Amino acid sequence: MRILTSTGAVLGGGAGILYVLFIGLPVVALIVKAAQGGGILENLSGDFALTALKLSLATSAISMGLLVLVGTPFAYLLARSDSKALRLVDSFIELPIVMPPVVAGVAMLMAFGRQGVVGSALADLGINLPFTAAAVIFAQVFVAAPFYVRAAKLGIQMVSREYEEISQTLGSPPWATFFRLTAPLAGPSIVAGLALAWARAISEFGATIIFAGNLTGKTQTLPLAIMTSLQSNLAEALALAVLLMAGAFLILLVLGAATRREWQGRI
Amino acid sequence: MSGQPTEGWFRHSVGGFSLDFQWSLSPSRVLVLFGPSGAGKSTALKLMAGLAKPREGKIEIGGRVVFDSAAGVWVPAHRRRVGYLTQQCHLFPHLKVNQNIGYGLRRLPAREREETVRYWLETLHLDGLEKRQPWELSGGQQQRVALARALAPGPDLLLLDEPFSSLDPELRRILQRELRSMLTQREIPVVVVTHDREEALVLGDWVQVLDEGRVIANGPPLQVLGQPGQGRVARLVGVENLLELEVESRNAEDGTMFCAAGDFRLEVPFSEPDPGDHGHPTSSLPKADRVNVGIRASDIILAEVEPTGTSARNRLPGTVTAVEPRPPGYTVTLDCGQNLQCHITRASLTEMDVTPGRRMWAVFKASSCFLVQADG
Repeated sequence: MRILTSTGAVLGGGAGILYVLFIGLPVVALIVKAAQGGGILENLSGDFALTALKLSLATSAISMGLLVLVGTPFAYLLARSDSKALRLVDSFIELPIVMPPVVAGVAMLMAFGRQGVVGSALADLGINLPFTAAAVIFAQVFVAAPFYVRAAKLGIQMVSREYEEISQTLGSPPWATFFRLTAPLAGPSIVAGLALAWARAISEFGATIIFAGNLTGKTQTLPLAIMTSLQSNLAEALALAVLLMAGAFLILLVLGAATRREWQGRI
Repeated sequence: MSGQPTEGWFRHSVGGFSLDFQWSLSPSRVLVLFGPSGAGKSTALKLMAGLAKPREGKIEIGGRVVFDSAAGVWVPAHRRRVGYLTQQCHLFPHLKVNQNIGYGLRRLPAREREETVRYWLETLHLDGLEKRQPWELSGGQQQRVALARALAPGPDLLLLDEPFSSLDPELRRILQRELRSMLTQREIPVVVVTHDREEALVLGDWVQVLDEGRVIANGPPLQVLGQPGQGRVARLVGVENLLELEVESRNAEDGTMFCAAGDFRLEVPFSEPDPGDHGHPTSSLPKADRVNVGIRASDIILAEVEPTGTSARNRLPGTVTAVEPRPPGYTVTLDCGQNLQCHITRASLTEMDVTPGRRMWAVFKASSCFLVQADG
């Protein structure tokens, strides 16, 4: 602090207050208004809210499971391979982060929709993806995957190859080496990546509404339910919003804990 | 497994670098791979360990063929029973000391595993540290834990990649001696990679000098590293005094000759122009009247006055120009017309008051001088 000039301190302090107010005011306003609208818990226990909550939890859990199953080996490959083709793939990994979710939804519709590139063939087999719970999961995985794969890749890269080589000479085959050594050491990064991916998946709106629609009990996740009830039952919408925000705080806690557990300087 | 061969040969290439290597060990033999960085020493170790597959070759460890390109045999690292130790220890940071040592003992019943871990904790003076995290240990302790971890599963071959080079010189010597005495008690073949001449001398029974992927010298440590006959090897080994001199006169009967550069004059072992044992054509040798003479700094005696009545043929006066610490002793540079470096102990330094500017004598035998072939 001492290195700041008084002008700098005033400027920085002012900007800081502005920043905190700008972010904090809506958060506080949401909680205050939700509380005024009656019992938050009561509003959440209605069928409409519970159905959306259950759907969000179930679909995001499946999405995260798929992401870990497919994303982890892929992240490992990206972290360890020096292939040029993979490096090219690597540079496209973050595309879904910068792509507008609505565009992602349209793109998925073009791929898996009834008239889609793959979708028409799937439809012939009797498989219809759009406007189903599976489409919700597709949308979530699509937008959330880069957060997980990127964090997992960086975490694995921090574990130098020599550790894995030594583990192998000690009798652990590559897969055992991954579970005994690489995964625990990359663990904090992997958990942080999963937390971010989950945050993204649970808040997914744009791609979902285009590709999966807004069908209560089938594809209506929490964010979609908030939009729907905003037009009819404000108190319910606010309660759902508070719930999602609580989830966000939980993720912040997980992230903080994961960051503290990193093996920085010890790997 | 005593008497079973541990040996092999392989050719390998990574990028533009190619390695062409063969080696052999019998139990209780310590082979030192000596060479500059980038010579392919570490790659050779990894190939022995099975961490990479050579392009072609055959590797046998304790009589078991673990790689044979002709017969299509390939045993991966985790089934080779090889202990592998690196410079940075690479202790697993998420595991405590005892878990690190027990890492390779997963298949043993819990009780046996604990006993083995206990045995190695005691053997390597690590008692009381079993519950520590790796980063709570000193450098020497870390290296001991890494050694225990490598030895605990009872490997058929121990591979050490510059094991002590990150430690300070004193600790390095202590650990080298400990390792040496432990290895003589156990019949386990060892390959040590190092670029430290003293480590090679303390640990090695046999030395192979590796340069640019090829073995350029092969023999007992004192012969290869003490008086290296090839210019390239001499430079790699770090012969402190390498002098280019002219032959003044030869005395075949005494087996010596006089060589000089200006006023600087030495009596060195006699040599005839001779193609040597490397089969170079005579034309590639330097002219007979110019020779390269090597003298180890540890073979030179410093004297305050000209010694008389000594069998040492070379007695040269000079001025001390530099005194540099070289733990545990010192390196003194004496300008005798040519600079000569000699190693002395701390006691000698204080006893004789060796300071820059002082006139002193360098004394050494003719047989301490050795002729070094110029590079072709």
